[in-house]
Amino acid sequence: MVRNRSHGGLVASVPAARLLAAAIAILLVAACAAPGTVSSPSSTATTTPASPTGSAAQSSAAAPSASAAAAGPTCGTDPLEINAVFETGFPTVPALADEFHKQFPNVTFKVSQDQFANLMTSTPRLLSSDTPPDLIRLPTLISLVKDDLLKNLDDYATAFGWDKWPAAQLVQNRVSTDGTRGSGSLYAMGLNNSLTGVFYNKKLAQQIGMTEPPRTVADFEALLGKAKSAGLLPIMVWNSAKSGGGLAFPLQQLMAAYGPTQPVNEWIFQNKGASIDTPSNLNAAQHLEQWIKSGYFPKDANAIEYTDANARFGKGEGVFMFNGDWQDGAYDKDQPGNVGFFVFPPAEAGGSLAAMSSPLTFGIAKTAKHADCAAFFFNWVATNDKARDINVKGFGSNPGGPPDLAIPPVAAGSVTNDTLAAGAEVAKANGAMDFIANATGSIFAQGWTPELQKMVGGKQDAAGLLKAVQAEYAKELAAGS
Amino acid sequence: MRIARGELYAGRALLLALMAMTILPFLSVFTTALHPSGTLPNGLDWPADPQWGNFVEAFKVSNMTALLASSVFIVLAVVPVSLVISTMAGFAIGLLRIPGSRLLFLLFVFGLTLPFEGIITPLYYLARSMGILNTRVAIVLPLIGLFMPFAVFWMRAHFVNMPGELSEAARVDGASTWDLFWRIHVPLARAPIASLGILMSIWAWNQFLLALVLVEDPTQRTMAGALGAFQGHYATDIPLLCAGTILILLPTLVLFILFQRHIITALLQGSVKG
Amino acid sequence: MTPGDRTLALRTPRRISLLRGIRRDALVGWLFVLPALSMYALFVLQPLALTVQYSFYRWDGIGPATWIGLSNYATVLSDPDMRETILNAFRLVVFFSLIPVTLGLIVASVIHRVATGRLGAAARTVLFLPQVMPLVAAGIIWGWLLALTGLVNQFLTAIGLGGVTRAWLGDFDTALPAVGLIGIWVLLGFCIVLLLTGMTKVDAALYESARIDGASWFQELKSITIPSLRYEIGVCLTVTIIAALAAFDIVYVSTAGGPGKSTTVPGIQIYYTAFLERQVGLASALAVALTVLVLVIILPLQRLTRGSDR
Repeated sequence: MVRNRSHGGLVASVPAARLLAAAIAILLVAACAAPGTVSSPSSTATTTPASPTGSAAQSSAAAPSASAAAAGPTCGTDPLEINAVFETGFPTVPALADEFHKQFPNVTFKVSQDQFANLMTSTPRLLSSDTPPDLIRLPTLISLVKDDLLKNLDDYATAFGWDKWPAAQLVQNRVSTDGTRGSGSLYAMGLNNSLTGVFYNKKLAQQIGMTEPPRTVADFEALLGKAKSAGLLPIMVWNSAKSGGGLAFPLQQLMAAYGPTQPVNEWIFQNKGASIDTPSNLNAAQHLEQWIKSGYFPKDANAIEYTDANARFGKGEGVFMFNGDWQDGAYDKDQPGNVGFFVFPPAEAGGSLAAMSSPLTFGIAKTAKHADCAAFFFNWVATNDKARDINVKGFGSNPGGPPDLAIPPVAAGSVTNDTLAAGAEVAKANGAMDFIANATGSIFAQGWTPELQKMVGGKQDAAGLLKAVQAEYAKELAAGS
Repeated sequence: MRIARGELYAGRALLLALMAMTILPFLSVFTTALHPSGTLPNGLDWPADPQWGNFVEAFKVSNMTALLASSVFIVLAVVPVSLVISTMAGFAIGLLRIPGSRLLFLLFVFGLTLPFEGIITPLYYLARSMGILNTRVAIVLPLIGLFMPFAVFWMRAHFVNMPGELSEAARVDGASTWDLFWRIHVPLARAPIASLGILMSIWAWNQFLLALVLVEDPTQRTMAGALGAFQGHYATDIPLLCAGTILILLPTLVLFILFQRHIITALLQGSVKG
Repeated sequence: MTPGDRTLALRTPRRISLLRGIRRDALVGWLFVLPALSMYALFVLQPLALTVQYSFYRWDGIGPATWIGLSNYATVLSDPDMRETILNAFRLVVFFSLIPVTLGLIVASVIHRVATGRLGAAARTVLFLPQVMPLVAAGIIWGWLLALTGLVNQFLTAIGLGGVTRAWLGDFDTALPAVGLIGIWVLLGFCIVLLLTGMTKVDAALYESARIDGASWFQELKSITIPSLRYEIGVCLTVTIIAALAAFDIVYVSTAGGPGKSTTVPGIQIYYTAFLERQVGLASALAVALTVLVLVIILPLQRLTRGSDR
């Protein structure tokens, strides 16, 4: 009997990587709760995460002592090495580390990078290992807090004054004692705040008579109709299971247009009793269904991956594309000066603006050796001029931090100008939402994506979509994930 | 032999069609790899300006030197050891017919039907408790274990067919079991050992899953493991991606073309002998 | 020497030393087996036992684990999604196994009959190529070929079937067959070469006389080839059925289980359950179920097609 051993791969081969690495900046997976006792995250009691080796999670890391409250801890002057785990595909983060080292030569970074999908499965192991990272990209939050693997950053927040920044920047990184996000102690920091919305091809937009960004959903839908009649593809999108259903972007934007954002955030944060199956969401889903039936999306959407969609949009296929500002650089490169951006309009003229906006979250291991220095790095990224410059040019979005710090300028003609301006508006309107794909560890892969794909294939309708996703959500929460 | 001409041509046409279908995918990837970086080619068109540099670029970007070294290390660590211990086991089960041979044989054969998914998670925790996690050793040791079913099966198939007179004659001369093994039978088994070695080298090279799960540092994994990281890096750049794919295919492809006679005939001989 | 003889030999001092000799031989023999057995037991059998153990718990991989008995198995059997994955696995068997074996027989007999020279040798080599590449690569390459603007559709348009074109891997009706096609591409060569080698062991005189009698290609296949190649066919079926039931790489890389759940096979479901949903216990139960399924199918098959007791 011959057995070819080269098949049978299991984990994140390939596209899982692209899948999440792509939609990343806002894919914070607020995943499962650990079965059994829920250890109070804000307590300093050391609960040992059960593991075969029984590695103890004693806090050997120096907690930010009261004496450091005044100016916040620093990295000192002795040489030290920060153990950092970053995600591939985002060169801005290592660039920030390099700049930090330039400004503080005693600090070197030992960086290891991996794909987001791999990080999703390996982060818990890394955090509970004998050499835990000082700085690590977090693909998920709730479960890591429940297993007591992350350092509580409240003291740093007070010391550095982060609690004086716009609350919206930190709220998604807070986890309360009952295991829900949105309030409670701070366990992660974002290195920027990304924004999603609608990119458009300026030439094609002109062709269909768009002179300014649409003010209402109806205006937008009218434009879609015009594009279709003109023989253009109205919206480019990716919906392959390999990248995760990109249709979730327009869906959520519609939800925000037709209803309040608070319930959606509550659902994502796993608040008790939250449901995604609401009348206003149904309305939103029905609009999406209409768009699909009207042929506004590519015929082969279910087979288009994230990278292909961007490539095709870059080649001029599609008047509009729902995506996030992390794509700014790529779009600028593909079509210099030809790409614009606007926030998805509200239902009524003058209604409040809302959009998915999420930070690229990083955390510090509970037992990290250089927690103080890592916290200082967080602060530096948001407040140091050079760092903010790198941040804006690399990520294309608001570097966060104190609201009175100026945002570094960007080259004229770059779509980043649009996204930054839009970001400011959304922040003012307090309309930031997390991504509906982040509600649980697998709601995207097992809920949104298959149901959205079915809708494209004509096998699912708006009501069924929401019911199915809510059922999957409930199932996962009940099973403790 | 009278075979109608029509049949002759039909048969040959079928073969050529199938061969074309088999090769086409490779060709497509190859021609796409030669297109300028950032373009979106389709199909088989040979680019006006072949970008051979893409291969170099792909090599650099995916840190292939480190991966090559890593893969070579893994192959060197896995294959010789596996060859030795599986030959010994095959010898004992197939030739010596030690008590319990039948049972042992079935035990190893059982391993041939195991889906990988069934053991990967515990393997992780096992590696962690052994303290070898995140080292190449974490790939090497399990891989040796995983190769044992096929390798022992293969070597046993050879030894089972060895005539008994050889051993008897040697025993009469006072040979110990080890002598019997090392001096007489191993030299006779050169062909199956060589084929087995080549096969295991290819499989170790293509090993993807273990590398991914057990080794956190991507540069310590295998070449196939690199494919994933590579796609993460070069999202929109299809030609570069294709170049990377070709590079990853190349070693096993070359190995196969060099040794195809060996591989094919011996592989099937072994499976046929059962 | 039969066991009976051996016991009789126990009586005398000469026989005692013979017994010791035999014992020593057995011991040495076992020492030869020990290294291979240890590695296998440690890194294959032990994890397998652990998987079985995990299947009785609810566990997220990090925190404490809770004993829940057969509850996971109940879920595996009752959850409609999970049942569907098993159905998909069987559907794949048609593509990964039945078609390559059938087509392989046809092609092998064609080569044997009309292309014994260089064409045959070249065909053998070329058709075997897909076996050498990582499955991950095969999935990626075919993913491009099967896209809306890919080679397959270009070819179909060129021969006038433009109306049929679509994104094969994104269409609910064609995704699974498309994945099956990739499997055929990978496995066909293996079957062909295996069967061809088997055919060379068949007495050439049989074929000769059949041809002199004017037997058609099909008659040759039916009366000579298939009966003689029972064992090889068995091997082919076994390997390809295992490939189908345990499929993961190809499916994941080409469709990731979509669209919807139409290509979600047990391997994919196990991955999602273990690593995304963080339900290691449930995933382990599914893995055990998959293993049992494979054995249940393969063992009788082996018995049926075993040429002679080897």
